Amino acid sequence: MTVAPRAEAPEPSILHVDMDAFFVSVELLRRPELRGHPVVVGGTGDRGVVAAASYEARAYGIHSAMPSTRARRQCPHAVFLPGDHAHYGEVSARVMEIFRSYTPLVEPISLDEAFLDVRAARRLHGSGVEIAHELRQQVADHEGLTCSVGVAPVKFLAKLASEAAKPHASLEGTRAGHGVVVIEVGHELAFLHPLPVQALWGVGPATLTRLERLGVRTVGDLAEMPLDTVIGTLGAASGRHLHALAHGIDPRAVVPDQAPKSIGHEETFARDHHHAADLQRELLRMADAVASRLRRHHLAGRTVTLKVRFGDFRTITRSSTLPGPVDSSNTIGRAARTLLDGVDPAPGVRLLGVSVSQLVDGGTRQLRLDEADGPDWDGAEQAVDAIRARFGASAVVPAALAGPDGIRVKRRGDQQWGPDDRASGPTRPAD
Amino acid sequence: MKFRCERDVLVEALGAAGRAVANRGGALPVLSGVRAELEGDRLRLTGSDLELTIAVDITVAGSADGLAVLPSRVATDVVRSLDSGSVEVSVEGDEAHITSGRFQSAIRVLPADEFPRLAQPTDDAVTLAAADFAEALHQVVPAASADDARPILTGVLMAAEGHGLRLVATDSYRLAVRDLPGASILREGQSVLVPSRALRELERLLGGAAEVTLRLGEREATFEVGGVRLTTRLIEGEFPNYRGLIPVSHPNRLTVGREALAEAVRRVKLMAREPNTPVRLGMSSDGLELIAITQDVGQAHEQLDADYAGTELTVAFNPDYLLNGVEVTPGDEIVLDTVDAQKPAVIRANGGNEFLYLLMPVRVS
Repeated sequence: MTVAPRAEAPEPSILHVDMDAFFVSVELLRRPELRGHPVVVGGTGDRGVVAAASYEARAYGIHSAMPSTRARRQCPHAVFLPGDHAHYGEVSARVMEIFRSYTPLVEPISLDEAFLDVRAARRLHGSGVEIAHELRQQVADHEGLTCSVGVAPVKFLAKLASEAAKPHASLEGTRAGHGVVVIEVGHELAFLHPLPVQALWGVGPATLTRLERLGVRTVGDLAEMPLDTVIGTLGAASGRHLHALAHGIDPRAVVPDQAPKSIGHEETFARDHHHAADLQRELLRMADAVASRLRRHHLAGRTVTLKVRFGDFRTITRSSTLPGPVDSSNTIGRAARTLLDGVDPAPGVRLLGVSVSQLVDGGTRQLRLDEADGPDWDGAEQAVDAIRARFGASAVVPAALAGPDGIRVKRRGDQQWGPDDRASGPTRPAD
Repeated sequence: MKFRCERDVLVEALGAAGRAVANRGGALPVLSGVRAELEGDRLRLTGSDLELTIAVDITVAGSADGLAVLPSRVATDVVRSLDSGSVEVSVEGDEAHITSGRFQSAIRVLPADEFPRLAQPTDDAVTLAAADFAEALHQVVPAASADDARPILTGVLMAAEGHGLRLVATDSYRLAVRDLPGASILREGQSVLVPSRALRELERLLGGAAEVTLRLGEREATFEVGGVRLTTRLIEGEFPNYRGLIPVSHPNRLTVGREALAEAVRRVKLMAREPNTPVRLGMSSDGLELIAITQDVGQAHEQLDADYAGTELTVAFNPDYLLNGVEVTPGDEIVLDTVDAQKPAVIRANGGNEFLYLLMPVRVS
């Protein structure tokens, strides 16, 4: 009898790290007195939505994307905080840096979530499980934040595992989570098959209804269905994909930080705007912010897109492609303004967005002949960038944005979840 | 309609007229055809997409006058496939018969009465040497924009200038200006904007011809070369005021061998691999140094002998735009005038002032 040499036992090496109640936890670091109370971060005005809820607030059924007014009804004693996206972004960047100290293969999904592939890091840092525990410790030590980590052989299982590792909220109190949940190689199906089928990525309400009609309730049920039946019900692409997931197969690789495809801003207004002049002012503010961000990332783009959502939630987008890539407030504002001129604001505009796509390296830019004469916008905007870098985003703005009461600038994520109470007036304090 | 002619003559005529034929006819299906009109021994073939019309006259052995619209693609492919020699074409009812040797084909024709009437040009005609005009087109047309979003810039401005004709084109990154002295074709102050697409077609027709006759009207321009008449609708609108863009003073002047510069740019630009990567021109009393660097790919530089008067300066250009300008500038030596790294540079022939190429730099930060 011959014995094959024992290969190194395969270990799960995909990590999904999910920060626990990230926005709220970051706020609580600044306001420790609120710890243990139901806290909600998001748009605090009438039309805002919840961006994040503390576990204490979740016990009242509050969850993200819920209208703030409903959250208030469900938990009137909750503390509502306006979002500070810029600050969350800074904390997130530091947390992602900690992840990158273990492996370059970090794929951020959002500010508070990322996949890591640590296969190549095991020799240096130990097994996936060891790295998971170490990561949690590092994030806690450096940022005072907790996170949950799923460790599995493939991406979607790692995400399910981190979900299982989460703290649990109830009215009796928050039960600490496992922190790290591991799905070992060979145990995938044992973990996966008892789960309800909607635990799979890509099973929304519509898909769920169709699967229930086939008698599919658990992932195991789906795995037992013949592939042809699943395809017949869900279509080829979706059917094949979900069937593979149900068998624990997920070929997607962890793709590190991709260059952005577009850069943009959008904002829901406190009240619907009916007048072109108001919208033009908002638009200029957004164009200025988008241009500023493009330049900060050394990018320029050719396509300017305007998004308009009306009071009845009807949403339109209009784009225009320019002869060459641009990164100036002036040109982006002008292009967006031309697009806005084609839109009738009379029904009331609820949300406006400006984005720039078809991005190229903005460090070098072919100048246009019509820029040779006239004001030196490039020079002016470089000066604006320098001032903002030193004194903050509201230190200098286009004159049209200055009113008798002060100035407003657009910051990333500012009121992305709907306007705050205080935003009804035009003044925003500087950072 | 019935005629006999040489296969090679007919192929060339169908090909020339076919270049104006609309793809698939667009809104008007008959425009996917070539109109053929026979009077005695003169056959006129006309293709048009309403913007551009090309009519070709050839001499054939006619035996019955007539008018028909042949589907351009099929008719051209059939005739081209034949061996050299005599071809007979006859139209009876709604079929055209193309016969050569033992080959016979019958092609369904398009309704001739639907083909739009094309007006005869009545404007004053001026005749120029074809070689001069072809050179001017070669210098100016490439600078016109290919972007239909800005139709005005897809045109070439033809304007009266002094006692001659001036051609101007720009795509907003560079500008080419060529004067044809003595070609007084327009009244003082008059100008027309001719689609560059039509002029590219005209350039093809001018090769080998001796003369070209121009008629510049209010709405159309017509060019006649040999037996070919090209008519194009003009672009309406105001061409940008290009005069204001040409710098009046040049603090820095580089004088360099034209072919040496063109060759160096061709070599160095191989290391400008990304769409936005420029070639940098470092100019000093030591001469000219060209540099191209693409991150993670590589770099190239080349030193050239050149005379330079001015302050030491580095300006970056899109290598293709630069090369275009250098290649079409006449003479053995060119001068490159610069103000600074952000202002337009001017390329001219050393001692010549009939051609000027204005080029915006690439900003490098």
